[in-house]
Amino acid sequence: MKVEKVFGLILVALVAILVIPAVPAHSESVLVIGTTDKISKLDPAFAYDFFTWEIFNNIDEGLLKYVPGTLKIVPGLAESYSVSEDGLVYTIKLRPGLKFTDGTPLTAKVVKWSIERVARLGYDVSWFVTDFVKKIEVVDDLTLKIVLKQPVAFFPAILTLPPYMPVSPKAYPENEVVDSTVSIGPYKIADWKRDEYLILEANPNYYGKPPKTKKVIIKFYKDATTLRLAIEKGEIDIAWRTLNPVDIIDLEKNPNLNVIKVPGPYIRYVVINVRSHPLDNVLVRRALAAAIDRAEIASKIFLGLVTPLYSMIPAGMWSHVDCFKDAYGPGPNIELAKKLLKEAGYSEKNKLKIELWYTPTHYGDTEVDLAQLLKQQWERTGLIEVMIKSAEWGTYTDYIERGVMPVFLLGWYPDYIDPDDYIAPFMAAGNRMGSYYESTAVDGLVLKARTTLKRDLRTIYYIELQGILANDVPFIPLFQGQLVMVTKKNVKGVVLDATMLFRYWLVYKA
Amino acid sequence: MKFKGALREFKRAGLPAYMCLAGGTILFVIILISLLAPFIAPYDPISSVDRPLLPPSRKHLMGTDLHGRDVYSRIIYGGRVVLLISALSVAISLTAGVPLGLLSGYVGGILDRVLSLVMDSLYSFPGIILAIAIAAMLGSGNLLNIAIAIAVVYIPMYFRMVRGQVLSLKESLFVEAARAIGASDITIMFTYILPHILPAIVVVLSLNVADAILTEAGLSFLGLGVNPPTPDWGFDLRDGKRYLPSGYWWLITFPGLMIIIAVIGITLLGEGLNDLFNPRLRES
Amino acid sequence: MAGLRAFIISRILLTIPMIFILLTVVFYVLRMMPGDPVIAMLGEKASPKLIEEMRAKLGLNRPLIYQYIDYVIGILKGDFGKSTWTQRPVLQEILDRFPATLELAIFATLISLGIGVLGGALAAYRENTVIDLLFRIIGIVSYSLFIPWFGMILQMVFSVKLGLLPLSSRIDPLLRPRRITGLYVIDSIITGDLKALESALAHLILPSVTLGIVLSGIYIRLTRNNMIEILRQDFIRAARARGVGESTVLVRHALKNTLIPLLTMMGLQFALLLGGAVLTETTFSWPGMGTFLLERIDYRDFPAIQGTIVFYGLLVALVSLIVDIFYAYIDPRIRY
Repeated sequence: MKVEKVFGLILVALVAILVIPAVPAHSESVLVIGTTDKISKLDPAFAYDFFTWEIFNNIDEGLLKYVPGTLKIVPGLAESYSVSEDGLVYTIKLRPGLKFTDGTPLTAKVVKWSIERVARLGYDVSWFVTDFVKKIEVVDDLTLKIVLKQPVAFFPAILTLPPYMPVSPKAYPENEVVDSTVSIGPYKIADWKRDEYLILEANPNYYGKPPKTKKVIIKFYKDATTLRLAIEKGEIDIAWRTLNPVDIIDLEKNPNLNVIKVPGPYIRYVVINVRSHPLDNVLVRRALAAAIDRAEIASKIFLGLVTPLYSMIPAGMWSHVDCFKDAYGPGPNIELAKKLLKEAGYSEKNKLKIELWYTPTHYGDTEVDLAQLLKQQWERTGLIEVMIKSAEWGTYTDYIERGVMPVFLLGWYPDYIDPDDYIAPFMAAGNRMGSYYESTAVDGLVLKARTTLKRDLRTIYYIELQGILANDVPFIPLFQGQLVMVTKKNVKGVVLDATMLFRYWLVYKA
Repeated sequence: MKFKGALREFKRAGLPAYMCLAGGTILFVIILISLLAPFIAPYDPISSVDRPLLPPSRKHLMGTDLHGRDVYSRIIYGGRVVLLISALSVAISLTAGVPLGLLSGYVGGILDRVLSLVMDSLYSFPGIILAIAIAAMLGSGNLLNIAIAIAVVYIPMYFRMVRGQVLSLKESLFVEAARAIGASDITIMFTYILPHILPAIVVVLSLNVADAILTEAGLSFLGLGVNPPTPDWGFDLRDGKRYLPSGYWWLITFPGLMIIIAVIGITLLGEGLNDLFNPRLRES
Repeated sequence: MAGLRAFIISRILLTIPMIFILLTVVFYVLRMMPGDPVIAMLGEKASPKLIEEMRAKLGLNRPLIYQYIDYVIGILKGDFGKSTWTQRPVLQEILDRFPATLELAIFATLISLGIGVLGGALAAYRENTVIDLLFRIIGIVSYSLFIPWFGMILQMVFSVKLGLLPLSSRIDPLLRPRRITGLYVIDSIITGDLKALESALAHLILPSVTLGIVLSGIYIRLTRNNMIEILRQDFIRAARARGVGESTVLVRHALKNTLIPLLTMMGLQFALLLGGAVLTETTFSWPGMGTFLLERIDYRDFPAIQGTIVFYGLLVALVSLIVDIFYAYIDPRIRY
């Protein structure tokens, strides 16, 4: 008898412990943001991922910056800037008296050192400097000249980017990449546990207006479902990147939450390795392009949250044309696909056999579904057999490099808002997206479009390039993504525009 | 006549016998279903057959998944992969571990010390962790790789157990007798000693299979197992998890239950066999 | 005691070759991985020249045998290499995550032992009754509860539907206690930080209960089997005949002798604990070594993966060393 009593008591005690309610809500002065993204490394010479750049945009500032809600570029850390007649020399004058959080003053020498460091360390992101800059000259303490290799129409946009953000030489070593929490922008980093959370506090040294919310906590979630549950439970104030479509639909019905949707220039597409047989046959590639049903993808997998895309340049950007729709129809065009395949020599007895690759987590949990649906769509022609394969992101990028994957899924967030960023990295010489596409005609056009300063001329070039794209099909654009942010009803001040920059300092809780 | 006698024995054995019966039946049913899958499953498990995310109904006993595939059919076919990989990995562990254990225990000497050392090094290493690393190394999706990944960590288990048994049996009377009549070492190991060890091997086997099922499901759940669209309980659980908060409960309930039932089955069988072979637990 | 000292020394010496074997296996198998960490690090736009430079910098272009020697020497010095993803020393990163796994493991073990030993003892004491049957069923069913599934259910019920407990992770970021050991519960007790303690415990409940229940099954079965055998022994009957009180009989005589054989299974239990922890960590986004390993596989961070496996190996070797010594201390027959 006694034994059972002891046991029973223990059980009761355990149950009692469960009743400790333990989810404290945060006060108005703290904003909690949840995300499934990760920070790579807090060093502008290394980081080339969306989220780390978002952090830089909040703890640092560029020489130039965008006005929130617009594509207008104004001086940032620079007080003013001017461009020479020929478009080759940018003279930048810094604001006086600016200091990093470690006390180092911001001077023209520091800016030059920072930019050259990015080029010198030579990571992926260094192309932003090495592609454009010939040299940098220090004129005086607060003035510097950036001399370009050739005129670049969109260079001011480049100057807003993290590779051009100055860093403190005391915090960052000459020849090594490190994580440093020293910054100069609206927020400073108070605490950081990699992949767990990041705590930001208002930076008292910042020259500009102080942020509306003094403390921001970013909680890193490992999967989208938990992120959804977190915002539903109220454990976070904002859920940002990347919720599952099915969760977004549910959350829209929730009266306590705001769902903000802004069309974003984020594109997804199929890459075709034009060197690998049988995809070296352009008829095959065109057939694949024709057979795709983008509407089905958008509705079945993304539940209407993405829009079909018919060009590598996203809709809404100047010079965009629906080149793939013009060439193959809105899709699915099974008849055309069959015709092309038969012309290429395939039949029911002799089917086209291809591999389709995807990467399971990097683009969200829906990727596996996307691959399976594409397989179904292509096999509807009755003349194609698709084998699905996958690789984790690291292996995936390796395989892209080595040309292992004949057909695979990829995505692209713009580095800067200009058609050049959607054409040059894909079609011009030295492109490394895994398609191995080569065309001297294209190279010439891209260079002309990039160095011409007049927009209407550039538009003509980009339209021509898109036509070539739809004809040669090294890529098949699939859809264009939306940015979705879910917030509690009392969160105000969120501005989401085409730059996809989320500015924490504008947000506050009513 | 014989049947009545067997039945009496069965009843006398009591609970352990019933456990074996229950566990064995569960396993038998699962294996049967898996073998007869093409004849039992109402739909093709990898094609879309209806609208997605339909709740269980008469047409689809367990509903449909995101792609419109019949969950019931996927469950039926899913057993194949799980059982195949578990069986394969156990077979590998057995074929490597048992003979090595026999050899090491019987021959002794330096061979024994070296083998024991190697086996001890791998012994308490967490299986799933090594399996994760190896599956990532050798590539996921390949059934053989996954089976090898799971097998590697269990080889020491069989080795140790067999070796221990061999050591205690080495000097026993019947072995000496066999030696006296001139039987070769190999004959002694495999025809005399091995049968005595079988009960113990079988018990470890059941623990091994249970663990293998859970590890395979775990690997698939982590995305390191089979490739889609191959039906697999662990993988379907991972896929279905996303839809639970929206109320689509049938996507995770059935795969989860199947894993649990399968493991309960093999564990019951193992526990029952263990009790039967170790009569000290019977009422004295 | 001389026998014991000799045993300890020889046992420690034996650990060294064991660790070497593990290190070697890990090293060579991992080098056969598909995928190149340098490419993953540098990105698709990197030039071949850049790639070669980076490869040289990481020492990946030298013959395998030289890499192996460096690797072994490095580990002896405590250098597990640098992560290709974060550029930080791998050992540092592992040690950052280790306390989380340790804390989860400790609490899960306490719960599983609690349920297991008490349940098993009760079942043995009340052999062949309903209680016995109940615990035997729990013992069998609990291990079969596939952790991701079981954890998810508990999470949905207690965190989402009932709102009693937090969803995931270890603690509220603003409440983290000052770091002394890295174990939040201990640290908050030492610093007297009540809010931190509350938050840490609240976050711990779901993961450790999940893992604890799943692991308890084995303990229930083992304890029950051992205890039944012990209770039948003569010395128990003798104690009862002497008039010793039931609870004393149970605790002092029976239980003590039951627990010792449990040690023999310690190796296996520890493996199950670490393995189970990986699935638990994934389910609850617990920032431990398990989730660390999975993340780094994603990034082909090959020094980090290798280092983590080695770390697990060292951990296992250490624990089995301690257990073996302890067991030899208790049972002199074991010291060969």
